[in-house]
Parts: sequence; structure tokens; C-alpha cells
Amino acid sequence: MRTALSWRGDVLVAALAFLALAVPAFLLGLPSVLDFVVRFAIFGLLAMSLNLLIGTTGLVSFGHAAFFGSGAYAFGLLMQSGGWSIPAAILAAMVMTALLALAIGALCVRLSEIYFAFLTLAFQMLIHSVVISWVSLTGGDQGLMGGIPKPPFLGIDLGNQGHLALFSLFCLLASVVALRQIVRSPFGAALRMLRDNPERAAFLGLSIFRYRLAAFVIAGTFAGLSGVLMSLYVSGAFPTFLYWTTSGEAIFMIMLGGITVFLGPLAGAAIFLVLNDRITNITEHHGLVMGTILLLLVLGLRKGLLDFVVDAWRERRERRA
Amino acid sequence: MSQHDRGIGRRSTLMAGAAMGAAAITGFPMVARGQGRQPIKIGMPTILSGRVAQLGVSSRNAVMMEIEKFNAAGGLDGRPIEVIVRDSRGVPAEAARIAREMITSDRVDLLFDGEPSSGGFAVHEVVRETGTLTLHLNSETSSLSADPRQRFWNAFRIARQGIHDSIAGGAYAAEIVKSRNLRRWMTVSPDYAYGRDTTAEFLEYLRAFAPDVQVVGETWPRLFQPDYTENVTRLTQGRPQAIYSCLWAGDLVTFVEQASLYGLFNQSQFFGVNMADYTTLQQIKQLPRGVHSGNRYLKNFPPVPGNLAFAEEYNRRYQTYPTNWAWQSATAVHLITEALKKVGGTDPRALANALKGMTIDSPFGADGKVTMRAEDQTLVGYAIGWGTTISADPYVENMTTADWSMIFRHEQEWKRAKGWA
Amino acid sequence: MDLGELASCLGSASCVVTQVSAGLTIGLLIFLVASGLTLIFGVLGLVNFAHGTLYMLGSYFALTAYGTTGSFLAAVGAGAFGVALVGLLMERFLLSRIYGTDVLMQLLVCYAIILILDDVVKIVWGGDFLKMDLPDAFRRPPVIIAGGIVPYYYVILFAITAAIAVILAWGMGRTRFGRTVRAAAVNPGMVGALGINTTAVFAAVFAIGSLLAGLAGALSAPIRSVVPGAGVSILIESFIVTVIGGMGSIWGALIASLLIGFTRSFGSIGFPLFTEGMMFLMMALVLLVKPSGLAGKPHA
Repeated sequence: MRTALSWRGDVLVAALAFLALAVPAFLLGLPSVLDFVVRFAIFGLLAMSLNLLIGTTGLVSFGHAAFFGSGAYAFGLLMQSGGWSIPAAILAAMVMTALLALAIGALCVRLSEIYFAFLTLAFQMLIHSVVISWVSLTGGDQGLMGGIPKPPFLGIDLGNQGHLALFSLFCLLASVVALRQIVRSPFGAALRMLRDNPERAAFLGLSIFRYRLAAFVIAGTFAGLSGVLMSLYVSGAFPTFLYWTTSGEAIFMIMLGGITVFLGPLAGAAIFLVLNDRITNITEHHGLVMGTILLLLVLGLRKGLLDFVVDAWRERRERRA
Repeated sequence: MSQHDRGIGRRSTLMAGAAMGAAAITGFPMVARGQGRQPIKIGMPTILSGRVAQLGVSSRNAVMMEIEKFNAAGGLDGRPIEVIVRDSRGVPAEAARIAREMITSDRVDLLFDGEPSSGGFAVHEVVRETGTLTLHLNSETSSLSADPRQRFWNAFRIARQGIHDSIAGGAYAAEIVKSRNLRRWMTVSPDYAYGRDTTAEFLEYLRAFAPDVQVVGETWPRLFQPDYTENVTRLTQGRPQAIYSCLWAGDLVTFVEQASLYGLFNQSQFFGVNMADYTTLQQIKQLPRGVHSGNRYLKNFPPVPGNLAFAEEYNRRYQTYPTNWAWQSATAVHLITEALKKVGGTDPRALANALKGMTIDSPFGADGKVTMRAEDQTLVGYAIGWGTTISADPYVENMTTADWSMIFRHEQEWKRAKGWA
Repeated sequence: MDLGELASCLGSASCVVTQVSAGLTIGLLIFLVASGLTLIFGVLGLVNFAHGTLYMLGSYFALTAYGTTGSFLAAVGAGAFGVALVGLLMERFLLSRIYGTDVLMQLLVCYAIILILDDVVKIVWGGDFLKMDLPDAFRRPPVIIAGGIVPYYYVILFAITAAIAVILAWGMGRTRFGRTVRAAAVNPGMVGALGINTTAVFAAVFAIGSLLAGLAGALSAPIRSVVPGAGVSILIESFIVTVIGGMGSIWGALIASLLIGFTRSFGSIGFPLFTEGMMFLMMALVLLVKPSGLAGKPHA
């Protein structure tokens, strides 16, 4: 009963958030605002999905972009082959990404956390080099070219920037509701127990392998969905989608936001995008500036921004009480 | 000065003169502007960081140098051109975003797309939607203009095109094949779209001009592979009489250095389409003599005063020689300023119509002229030549100029075979 | 696939000599980088994601030193010791602050270091790819053994890298410092209790690991182009080596490096488009069959 209630509550909050974000975006009507909404949805979802691994499960993946990119390529290829409607292609792309995550996850999740981090990185580089070399299918380094057809469905025309912004926002919020349900479910509780106290979990008879693999597949699938949105946004798919820098950026976003706060990665994605856009406007030494910010954050706060704010706020409240 | 800074597009604006020096130090994007009436704004996304940054920088350098000349000469009836350059870091999605932001927030009048093919196609998709007049400065992939599905009224390519190079290279190599009886060939090219396509096209034309050529082996290093020893030993094992490669820049330098250690150049004739670019030539410390190379950019080819003057002025300003991207970018400025003068304003439709079929005098032309071909909106008539390397300046000698009527003939056949003509 | 070609190569002495010597040289250069990575992991429990970047720095230091002094020895010294110093500073001021925290912190600090150093290199040396001159002393015709070709510089490379491998194995196995390091890897608390300064041991190990990466960068500067961002492919290669060999094991790293070297040199003849895939396949196999690696001790 409680879960059912909280489920309805989440949907209500999400619907309100949808209105709160969509209405001003449309009232302003600026293409750049709509662009920002789409990008926020894409990277917000990518960061949220990654945090299911990092924050909830305690698995630090450095190869999450592999699934982001696979979603984008799978969707783009399906749409270019013709005969697929957008919703069907999205579902198919998510299924394909899930299968890929299952294969890679099966190899990686049994390993200790450090091994896990760089194996995911290595497999991502493998997929990247396959995409670069398999020119006949993927277009190699030039990416999927010629645009991605966007036939309207249910009155939604994703070729229209406004429709795309609304659709992306909808996908983001629906996924966030789903992720929140997962995190709060008994399954989520098990993941947290595996993170904090694997011995106890093993004692209770939980299969570490299965739970972690399930989390890995779920996270990969949502990353696939964000990749689909990305391919809709740029009307193509490019190898950089599954390069290690994209994974690095996703982790950066989580760090900017916060690991322990559920919506932290969303805040992080927004901060990252604003930072990124400002920095590329004023300097070509993007890496130097971003790297310094990251270093200060990690060594100074030792946690995400929102984590820091929440902790500080709690401390203050406790001191007062 | 900065009255138009509003919304998201706020950025530091610097005086045009000071911008060059300051930018060299601080790396801030340059905004070349002059005083006067409402400037004409050009947005330019390009790669200023990462592995091919030097190309993006040379592209920006050439644009800035030529725009400044135009502004100094009074601009368009007193209206100067202002160029906004931003770094895409080689990420196509960033190139698309920056292009879109320049169009919607900075309200640029036209775009110079300074991206290579991958980012170029991303920008191409953006401007297909927005209808912004766009000049692709550095995308050489043939399909960008040759494939009718990729073509629309507002996009123009002002760069060399893969198929032109392949036909010219095949014809040149076939002459050498006949005179020295080189039958056994091998290839070593990077394993990605450009490497695959360019190699296939070169071999196609080589066989068309010299049918008895045999390809006895291929080796495909990864793009940006750090070491080529295994590819070099593969080539030494195959004992070919001639080797073709479209490796470029740092990859080519590494390959040539390791291949010389194995004595490969004593064993086989080497045809490197991308060898004759100063950034490459100057980094290869012991440039083997007699390597066959296509011209990317050479100050003595075409051997006209205008070309040499361009190289010297560029060298004076930036302490380095122009690249292939630099002459292409300069040509884009020449063409667009000519079109602006002809139209007298910035109406994109009028400018596009003016550009179509426009021929201008150019130091980079095969006959002193280059043309923006109307039918597929791509540059033709630029100088293509092949020669052999020597170890010191001017690095390449015995240049043979490609014959454009021959190129046109084979290009037409190629298009027909592809179903594009 | 061209297995016939491979068979005919294995049947010819000249081909075997050429490919074996190439495989040895490639493998030993990878070993220099990978041994540092595995050493640091074994002792500090830290995966240095910035290790490839240190390799890149080694190339740049060597290039500048050679440009100013014209001495190959100075170039190699500058690459190795310059990077050791950078590594030491990195460890003291940045990484030592995050010992004992989770992998995420390590990863983020290394990621930040990569971003910063790649840009710093671009500011100091420019974005162009550069090349260090091969000293004239090494610019000799290749050595011909049984018809096989071995470049003169590769002989030098082989001699240096093989010597380092021996010194490393001897140092870790036979010296007091080596025993301390191995003990610290197993139980840092115990070593500390014995009155040994573990902070100094950790710093020294990180500096040695960095030195090895810098040395590899310096040695390859005359034959590979030097460019910002060159570290990533090197990093991935050394990862594969450390996984196959076993994290923390120097011997494992040596075996795996040579395995990768031979896969590259013979693979380019037998299965030219699958050498890369083959490396990953070997890694996946090792992970499935013996996740701790060929020579690694199992650890959770």
C-alpha cells in the first residue's frame, strides 16, 4: 500500500515538474532554451542512470558511455533502415542496449571495484574501436550520416524542436520516476546492502552477482534511452558518444551534483551544461578549467555539491536542535 | 564595443588588432571586428583542442588574416566582418550545438564550418533545418556534395574533394607504374571511413589507368595508433614494389620514421597522398628522398607570386607555414567577400545564388582561378599536383599538375556509377 | 584472416626474426608502462588512470632536453627523472589525500589530472604533433640476422628495456627496499608498526612507477610522434597487460606484455584486422577463467 501511494506521489511530482519546466520554456519560446531543455534531459538521464551504479550499488563504472552510444547507434540504424516507428525503434534500441549491458556486465560485475572501473573502460574502448572500424554499418568516424528520419507518431513530430523538447522532458521524468521506484524497492534496498555490507548480504543468501548484474543492465538500458534522445537531437550518431570522455563527463556531472541525494545527478547535469557552454565560449582551454574545478571539488569538498549542501544543512539543524 | 552582448552569447570581445597577439597567449577566441556600421557576423565552429587542433588553428588563422585585409580595405561599404570562433573539441554533437547557438543566440549572418568531415556532417544537418548559408571549409568527404540527398541550397563546400585527389593520384601513379614497371602493390592506410574510401578510390583509378597492377597485401592500422612497427614489418614481408598510404599528420610521421628504420623506402616506391603538408614535412627528421606525394599545401605549388606571398605573410604572423586547411579557409573568405560585394548585402538566398558558379582569381587555382561549381556546390579548379620529396626546403620537387578536364571526365563516370548523376 | 601467410612466415627464418624482434621491442616498451601501473596498484591500491599521461609527459621532456642539449642520454634522463618528479608531486599533493577513500575519488582525481596535463602540454609545447630527432649514432642501417631485419635503434631499445626488466625483478626480489615494498603491499599497517615510514615507501613507489612511464615515453619519442592526448591508447594497452598478467604482479606484466607484443607482430600477418580484438579476447578469457590474472594472487 505504501509503495503504491509513493508511486502515485512520484508521478504527481514528476507531472508538476514537467509543467514547471515546460511552460516557461515555451513561454520564452527561444530555440536556445528548447535546445537546453533537450540537452538537460539527455545528460540528466545519463547521469541519473550512472548514479544507480555509483551511488546506489557502489560500482564505479568508467564505461557507461558504451551504452549511451549503443542506444544512439541502434536507434539511428533502425530508423534509417525504414519501416520502424519511433516508439518501436526506441524500445528495440533499449532492448539491444540491455543485451549488450548483460554481456559486458556478466564479465565485469564479479570483480572488485577497481578492476570493475577499468574493465568497463576497456570494453568501452573496444566498442569504440569496433564502431570506428565497421565503416559499412556505422559510417566509421564520420558517424551515421544523412539524418535520422523522424516520422510523426500520435501527433508528435520530433522533427519539431518544441515537440522534441517536450518528448525528451517526458522521457527524463518518466525514467526518473522509474529509477526512484527501483531505488526505493526491496531490490534497491538489497543493492544498498551489497554496497555497504556485502558480507551481511551474502549471509542473507543474496547473490551479489545477480543483483549487481541486474543493476548494471538497468543502468545501461536507461543510458541507452538517453543515447536515443541524443541521436534524435543531433540527427545522427557519432563515435564520440561512446568515447571515454563522455563517460568522464557523466561522472563529472554526478560529482557536481551529489551521489547520496537522489536528484543530485540532475542538478549536476544542469550545472555541467551551463559551465561547459560558458567555458567553450570564453576559452579553448576547456580541459584546464574543467579539470581544475573538478580537482577543487574532489579534494576540497570530497563529495558532490548537493551532498555537501545537504550535509551542511543537516549539521546546522542538528546544532540548533 | 560590446553593445550586442546579450543573452547566452556573452563573451569577451577584444580589439581586432590586439586580438591576434592576446589570443596567442591567452587562447581566448578571437573576434576580429572593425569599427563602423553594423558588422556582418560569421560564426565558425572548429577544432581548437585535441589531436587535430593544429589544423583547426590554421583554419582560424587563415580566416582571420584574410578577413582583416577585407576589413582594412573598407569591408562591405564600411561594414566590417566579425568572426566568432568557438572550439568544438572535435565532438560532432558540440559542433552541432555551437552552430545552433551561433545561429539562434549570436544571430550570425552565415556560418564557416571549420570542422572535418565528422563534425561537418553534424553542422550540415543543423543548417539543413535552419537554412543558414554555410561554407564547409574542411570536409573532404566526397558524398557531402556529390550525393544529391546531402545537397541543399544553402551549403557549399570550399575544400578539396576526395574523389578529385584519387583520380589525380591514380593518373600520376599509373605513369610511374608504366615507366618503372611497378606491378606488385601494397597499401597501409588508417582503418576508418576516410582511409578506407580514399584507398579504394585510389586503387580503382590506378587500375583504370594501369590495368596490370596487382594488390598483394593490405595493412590497416587503427586511427591514432601509437606504434606502426607491426604494419611496417608486414610491408617488409610482402616485398611490394610500391606502397600506397593515406595516413596523415602525426600518424604518417610515426609511420615514415619507423619505416625508414626498417629500410622500407629503399625496398619500395612509396606514394603518400598526404605527405606534402609542412606540419608533416618539417617533423620528419630524415625525410626519405623520392617519396611520391600529393600536395596538401605547398608555398611553391602552384608556383605563382600570390601563393608565395600568402605563405610568407602567414608565416610572419603565426611563425609557421599554412596547412591544407589554411588555403581552403582563405579561399572561402575570398569567395564570400566577392559574393558580398556582388550582392551588396547579406540576404542568404541572394548570396547563395551569387556563389553558385562563381569563378574568382586565386593563387591556389590550377590556372590562377577557382570555381564554385553550380551543379553540386563544391570547389573545383584548385591546384592538384604530385611530386617527389627532397630532404630540405622546398621539400617537394618535380611537381606534375593534374589535368582538370581529365578529372571532370572520370568524376562524371564515378557519379553515374554511384547513381548520383 | 590470412593464416596461410602466417604459416609461411613461421616457416621462413627471416620472417620469424623480423617479427620476433619487433614483438619483443613493442612488448618491452609496453612492459615499462604497465610495470609502473601494476607496481603502484600492488602497493598503493590505486589505479593510476593518469599513467598514460605520464608517458606522454616523458616524451615531451625528452624532446625538449634533446633539443637543448643534443644528448640522447640527457633526453632519456630528463624524461625518466622529470616524470618521476611530477609523479612525486602528484602523489604528495593530490593522490595522498585520497588514500583510503573509494575508487570514485581516485578516478575523479586522475581524470582531472589528465584534463589539466593535456591542456598544460598544449600551452607549453603547442597543439602540433612533434617528433624528437633520432640521434645520428643510432641512425645506422638495420641489422640483418638470418635475412630478418632488425633496426639498429630497436636493438638499443631492446637492450635498455630488458636491462630495466632485470633490474626491476632483482630490485623487488632481492633488495631490502623491494622486500619492504612487497610487505607494504600485503600489510601496510604491519610495516608501519615495524617503524618503517610507509608514507615514504608509498611516495617512492609512485615515483618509481612514474619514472618507468616517463622512461618509456622518452625512449619512444624518436620513433613515435609526440602529441597532446597521446596517453589514452597507451593507458588502455597497459590496462590490458595488467589484467592479463594480474594486477600487482611484475612477472605477470612481463609475460602479458610479451604476449601482446607477439600478438601484434604476428597478428599483423595472420589476422591483420583482428589484432586489437584478439587482445581484448585474451583479456576476456583471462577474466572468465582466472580473474586474478596469469600470475596474480586472487583478491576479492
